[in-house]
Parts: sequence; C-alpha cells; structure tokens
Amino acid sequence: MLIVLLIIPLLIGLLQPLIASDSRRLRSIAAVAPSIQLCLGIWFLKNPPDSISIEWLPQLGLKLELGVDGLSLPLVILTAILTLLAICASQLEYVRPRLYYPLLLSVNLGLITAFLAQNALLFVLAYELILIPTTLLVAIWGGSQRAGAAIRFLIYGAISGVILLGVVLCFGWLNRSGLNFSYSSLSQASLPFNQQRWLLIGVLVAFCLKLPIVPLHGWQPKTYSQAPTPVVMLMSGAVSKMGAYGLLRFGLEFLPDGWMYWSPLIAALGAFSAIYGALNAIAQKDIRLLIAYSSIGHMGMLMLALAAATTLSLQGVMAQMLAHGLIIALLFNLVGLIELKTGTRSIAELSGLMNPQRGLPFTSSLLLIGLMAAAGVPGLAGFVAELLIFEGSWKIFPWPTLACLLASGFTAVYAVRFFNRVGFGRLDPARANWVSTTWGERLPALILSLLVLIGGIWPTSLTGISEATTAQIAISNTSTNQLEQQS
Amino acid sequence: MIPPSTHKYADVIHRLEAGGSMLPDTPENLEQIIGIYKAYAVPMDFYWRDLLYIAERVFLNPLPAFKYFISKQYMDLANSYSGDNSKLRIWRGGEKAHPELVAFMKRGETISMPKILHHLWHDRINMEFAEACMQAMFWHQDMGGRFNDYLESKAYLANADRAIKAYFKGNPLMLLLYKLFPEMFIEQVRQLSYYSNLGLFWEVMAPVFFEMSDLYDEGGINSVPEAMDFLVNGIFAVAGRPIYHHVYMGNECIEIIPKSEGFTWLYEAALPYVEAVFYRTSPFRGTKSYNAQANQVPADQADFHYGILYADVYPVGSAGIPPTLLMQDMLHFLPAYLEATYQNHGRGDEDKLIQLGITFQRSMYNVTSAVIQALRCALLYPLTDPDLEHLLANRRFFEAQMDRFLRPEARLSDIQQQNYR
Repeated sequence: MLIVLLIIPLLIGLLQPLIASDSRRLRSIAAVAPSIQLCLGIWFLKNPPDSISIEWLPQLGLKLELGVDGLSLPLVILTAILTLLAICASQLEYVRPRLYYPLLLSVNLGLITAFLAQNALLFVLAYELILIPTTLLVAIWGGSQRAGAAIRFLIYGAISGVILLGVVLCFGWLNRSGLNFSYSSLSQASLPFNQQRWLLIGVLVAFCLKLPIVPLHGWQPKTYSQAPTPVVMLMSGAVSKMGAYGLLRFGLEFLPDGWMYWSPLIAALGAFSAIYGALNAIAQKDIRLLIAYSSIGHMGMLMLALAAATTLSLQGVMAQMLAHGLIIALLFNLVGLIELKTGTRSIAELSGLMNPQRGLPFTSSLLLIGLMAAAGVPGLAGFVAELLIFEGSWKIFPWPTLACLLASGFTAVYAVRFFNRVGFGRLDPARANWVSTTWGERLPALILSLLVLIGGIWPTSLTGISEATTAQIAISNTSTNQLEQQS
Repeated sequence: MIPPSTHKYADVIHRLEAGGSMLPDTPENLEQIIGIYKAYAVPMDFYWRDLLYIAERVFLNPLPAFKYFISKQYMDLANSYSGDNSKLRIWRGGEKAHPELVAFMKRGETISMPKILHHLWHDRINMEFAEACMQAMFWHQDMGGRFNDYLESKAYLANADRAIKAYFKGNPLMLLLYKLFPEMFIEQVRQLSYYSNLGLFWEVMAPVFFEMSDLYDEGGINSVPEAMDFLVNGIFAVAGRPIYHHVYMGNECIEIIPKSEGFTWLYEAALPYVEAVFYRTSPFRGTKSYNAQANQVPADQADFHYGILYADVYPVGSAGIPPTLLMQDMLHFLPAYLEATYQNHGRGDEDKLIQLGITFQRSMYNVTSAVIQALRCALLYPLTDPDLEHLLANRRFFEAQMDRFLRPEARLSDIQQQNYR
C-alpha cells in the first residue's frame, strides 16, 4: 500500500501534461494525488501498512525500503494536506501550468519518499529530488528577484545535499555489518563516540541548512519572499520539516552519543536563532520577510527541544513540526492573498484591512488567528507545541529555554505590531480599490485555520501518533535522561 | 478683473466665483447628488415628523420607550411647504408622509411583522441618527443666532416651568423631583426645543429634495450649479419662516418658544445645523478612538472637525456624520440609476454603504456650497458686481470659507476626483 503514496503523484505528474491543457483542469487533476495520499494517510492511522523492501542497487546498498512509524506518518499527512492546499491556492493565471503542477507533485513525491524512507541512501535521493523542482518553481513563478533567490536556494540546498550524502556514505562505510543503509541497521550500529561526534557535525550542518537555523539561514528570507505563494507554503510547511525530521532520525536516533556531546551547542544555537528570528521579524517592513524571520525563530525553539531530547521535549518537537507546518503555511497563504489583492506587501502601505466593506475582513481575521497561533496564544496549535518545548527543555537547558521564552514574547510583539498596522487604522482610499477574495481563494486558509484550532483544543492530534516513537528515541538517549533525572 | 487666487483651493474658489459649487460640474456628480437627495429625503420625511412628535407630544415622558412609534396624526401631519393643504406651498408634492416611507414602515426590508419586532430588529428608520444631529446642535450651542441665548432667558424659563407643571399635573412624584432638581428638567426641555428646531428645519428640506429629484427625472435640472441654485432659492424662500417650540397636552397647547419671538429658519436652524452637523459634530461616536490628552481632540469646540465634510467614510460605523445608521436608512430608498452606478463600481453590493456614504459626502459639499453662496448673497455682493473692491470682498469671503478645508481630514480635494468612490 505504501508504494501507492509514491506512484500516484509520479503517474499524475507524468501523465497530466498529456491529458489536459486547461489550467483549471490541470489543477483539478493535480489535486487528486494529495487527496488520495491524505485519505490513505488517515487510513494508515488505524491500519498501519506493512513495510516494503525492494532491492534497487544492491552494489550501492540502495533499497526501496519504505515504512511508517510515529515520526513519519504525521509528516506524510502534513505533506499531503499542504500539497493539496498549495494546489488549491495556485492561481489559474500561472503561466505554463503543464510544467507547474508536475513540478509541484515532484516536490510532493520527494517529501513523501523522504518521510517513508527506511534507507538512508533512499532518503538522500529523495532529499536531492526536492531541490531541482523547488528551484525551478521559484525561478519560473517567483517574484521580481526570483533568479537570485532560486540560485541561492540551489546553492545552499546543493551544499546541504552533498554534506548529507557524505555523512550517509560514512554511515555505510563505518557500519560493521557491511554496506547497509537501512535505518534498522544504522540504529543498531552503535558507532564509537569519536566517530559519532564528527559525523554529527555533518548531520547538523546538512539539516540546519534545510530548517534553517542561524547562521545557515542565508537562503531562507530571500527565497521565502520571492517564491510563489503555493510553493512557499509547501517549502516552509513541509520541506523545512525534512530538516527537523533528519535531525531526529540521523542525529538523535543514529548518533545519540554525538548528539549528547553537542547538545549544549545545539541548544545555544536554537536559542540564538529564536531571538534572532523574532527580533528580525519585529524590524521587517515586508510582510513576507516578517513571516520568514518568524519561521527562523520558531525553528530555533524546535532546535532547543531537539537538543534537550527528553520525552516531553521530543513530543514538543513533533507538535512544533506539525503546528508550525500548518501555521506558517496559513500565514504565507494569507500574506500571499493580501499581496495579490492589494498589490503590495509593504507594511507601511497597508492599513485598515479589517474594514468590513472595503478591506479584506475575512482574510485579515484569519491572519489574526494565524498570528495568534504563531505567538503561542492558548487554544491554538502553537501554544501546545511551545508549552511542550519549554516544559521539556527547562530542566536540561534552563538558560536557552528562558531565551526562547523571551523570543516567544517577541513573537507577540511583532504579531500585535504587524496586525495593528495592517488590520486596523484608516483604509487608504487611493489604494482600496481591490476586489474582495472569493470563497475559492479563502478555502485553503480556512481549512488551515480550522486545523490550527483543532490542534489547540485537541492536543493529542499533534502528539498522539508520535508519542511512542519519540519516547523510544528519548529513552535511547540515556545520558540525557539521566541528566534530566539528576536535575 | 481681479487676479487669480493663490489659495490651495484656487480652482474651487474660481468655480464659486463663477456661480458654481465646490463639487465639480459633471453628469455623474449630478446624478449622484440628486439620487442621494431622493434617498435622503424619504427617511428625512420621517425624521422631521418624529422630531416634532417627540418635542410636542412625548415631551418629558420619563420612559420614552415608544418615542419612535410615531402617531398616525404625525404621520399624516401636513407639511407646511408642500401639498395642496400646506400653509405656504412652495414645493410640489403631497403634504402627507411620502408613499415610499409609508410602504417601508409597513414591511421594512424583511417581512411584514408587528411594529415592535421591526423596531427591535432595527428594520426601521433609524431615528438615532436624527437625535445625534440634534445633540450636536444642542451641544455646540455657540454658533451664532439668538436661539441658544433665549433658552437661558426668563421668558423661556417661565414657559418651560409652566409646561413642566402642566405635563406632570397629578403626578406628585415627578413634581417633587422637579422641585428637587429643577435644572435637570429645564435642561431636558431645552433639548426638546432643539428637537423642535431640527424638526422644523428638516420639514423644509424634505420637500426640497423630493422636488429636486422629480425635476431631475423630468430633465429640469441639468447641472450641479443648477442643483445648487435650486437649494439657494429654496433657502431664501423659507429663510424667514418661524422656529418655535409648542407642547400639546390633550387639546391644550403651551408655547415654550412662541412664533412671536421671531426666530427664523435660516439663522436659528439652517446655519447652526450646517455648522454643527456638517462641520463639527463630536468625536465620541463609533469605532475610532481619540486621545484628548494627546491633543487629538481640539480644546476649542469651534475647531471640531468630525462632520460629513471631514468624515472618513471608509471605516463604516466610525466617528463623524453620517454614521452607519443614516447610510442604512438611505440604502432602502436609492433610485434605480444610483443602484446601477454602485453595482458598476467598487465591489457592487458588498461596499454599497461606502459608495453611498461618499456620494452623500459629495452631495453635502453641494449643500454647503449653497449655504456659502446664500451667505455671500445675504452679506456681500453679487458675483457679477462691476466694482472690483466688492469682488475682492467676495474673494476674501470664499477664501475664508475654504480655509476651513485646509486641514488634512477635509475631503474637498477628494471629491474633486471622480474616482473617489
């Protein structure tokens, strides 16, 4: 059954340009793939599928090994939701739709493969697969500075991919059971501490580039600000989560001793990223850049929780991955809509969007929900994630946790400041001639808002599936838990 | 020839000097202002009747819960200036309530149901707007004329005292309260005198607007200056009509402000109304908040600038006249051609209230132009006067009037553009 999750986007992506040319029809056909993935993903919650293992290139140790566990299944569902909503949010006016939708489905294919992979080499393959279509999507359908943004994304992504490939090959070479990249084999490999310590540097650099974390974030603000709205929804909501997922799998699960060694530095980096992202968000004058920097801040909190690696903090990691995936996609979708309707994304040029007659009251109301969720207001998904992170990390890394708490406070500052400027105030008559949003345009944001709300009032939806798996990973990291118990 | 004005609004001043209006003379502007006059006149026909009903009949009722439930007598009250039975017929039309008003009061915009349900559902004419205008006139007070000073006079106090005692005759509790707090009761009567004042003002304006609409439909008004001239002529036709306050208790009539006091429509009602409602009003209404301690509210009431000529129509429900309630009232009576215009611009149905509000703003600039021209006519010189000194005096007058629109909130420059909708 798992193979269906990969075959569907592959087939639709390949055949779609041949069977339709109309933009509306292409969009509808493209939406079929994530819809099926979503249905299957939900079905797998109750009926876990069997793992698959097919030899691909045995000489290289590459197998098509697929499986789901508590870490991957929630991310598969998240990817399906975000792909579906990204397709819904795609404008019918986009040029070259016969190229656009297959590229979007390629990103989906890469993500799903990466999350389902039970083989490190297969993961790297999927990791690299995402890079090219994403670059093309930014380069062709992006904003006025799309070329620079795409090249920057490509360079950072390529470096990340090469480093990851190197690390994974080292895994294979150092594995005492031969050239085997299976997760099951790697998790039992128990590499010596010294090897773990050095390999983890590679793992950290590769995945921190993807998340991204300061100081490896150079590509992110530019790319997020130039990518078309549906692509940035997918990039920020799902692609960046591949970084966090990789750190969990390759860092915490396969290199626990190395992780323990570097964890104070990882926590410090996380705290610094959280503060840096939030302060930069406060200073931004562009709505997209504001959201982009806010994402860096939230990824910083996630890093702190990963560093702590306690049972609770790892639940926080999973909750943050899902909550942030939904919230950031919601925010980018809404700022994209605002940009589309008003023709500007400059905060200084926007005001009075809550005006019931001439503004964008529905869009800005959902924006308020998204900002509140990002700021960690209780009752919304962001609160659950942040609470688990702070609670789980406090005993291990009190100072970085305090710094992240401060960053969370800054989040509220930029959220209030931003919305007060954009949502309230006087609507400028010279600018307020835009048309209102249609229900079709509102639908993705509406669904995301509902999911953010559900995550807030039913926290188990964020942590329930992954609880057992994260507990296993945390337990395997015995040293950290001993430290937790001592304190 | 006098040299061109160097004022910021020189173009507007030159237009006024040529006998025009502050509003540019375009077919669309004409269509918009006439259409909105018609839509305004219908609720106004209710406003003036109910204002008089409250001033004359409800009077000091301590629980005036039904003050908007106007009696049939007042719905059928003959307008003094239109209709066959009017005392001084100036304008055409019937003397009773307008048929569109009567029809609306029966069914509202929903369905036919008991009057109380229409009232509670706000499916009715929103008298709160009329009361807000009255309160603005009452609160600002010092706007010229003798009316306000008279409210402090011995004659007025004696008449008010007589009316209060007659109204509460046989009600010892209220009489005792009056004994204890006489100023409170007198102040209420003063306010009721302003109810009467505004009611008498709008009694004139409603048939004026109806006739302008009819003339436009017949092709009798073809330009904005013609519309303004019609208003100026109307102002002069009724300028001397009396402003008074009578109270009826059964068949007994007590004249709190008798007609013999000589208060006239132009100086005691029209000019204070324009000043209080078009220019000043108050900043305390709606969603926009002002910080008086940060000097966002002028210390001097005369500097208030929250009226329709300055109003930000975009935040519907915010400070300034017209508040949302008037827009809602006018929405029910829009002529078909104005409906079509709104459908073709902006968001059509969705932002009709804003488009309507801006049209109203345009139309009130035209009314204000009529008042300015009427004042110039009354106090200064004809526009065709051959004496340059007289023309310069006119220029100084117009420039002084335009100075009031130099503040950034003024919408005079906005209404010069047709795409301000």
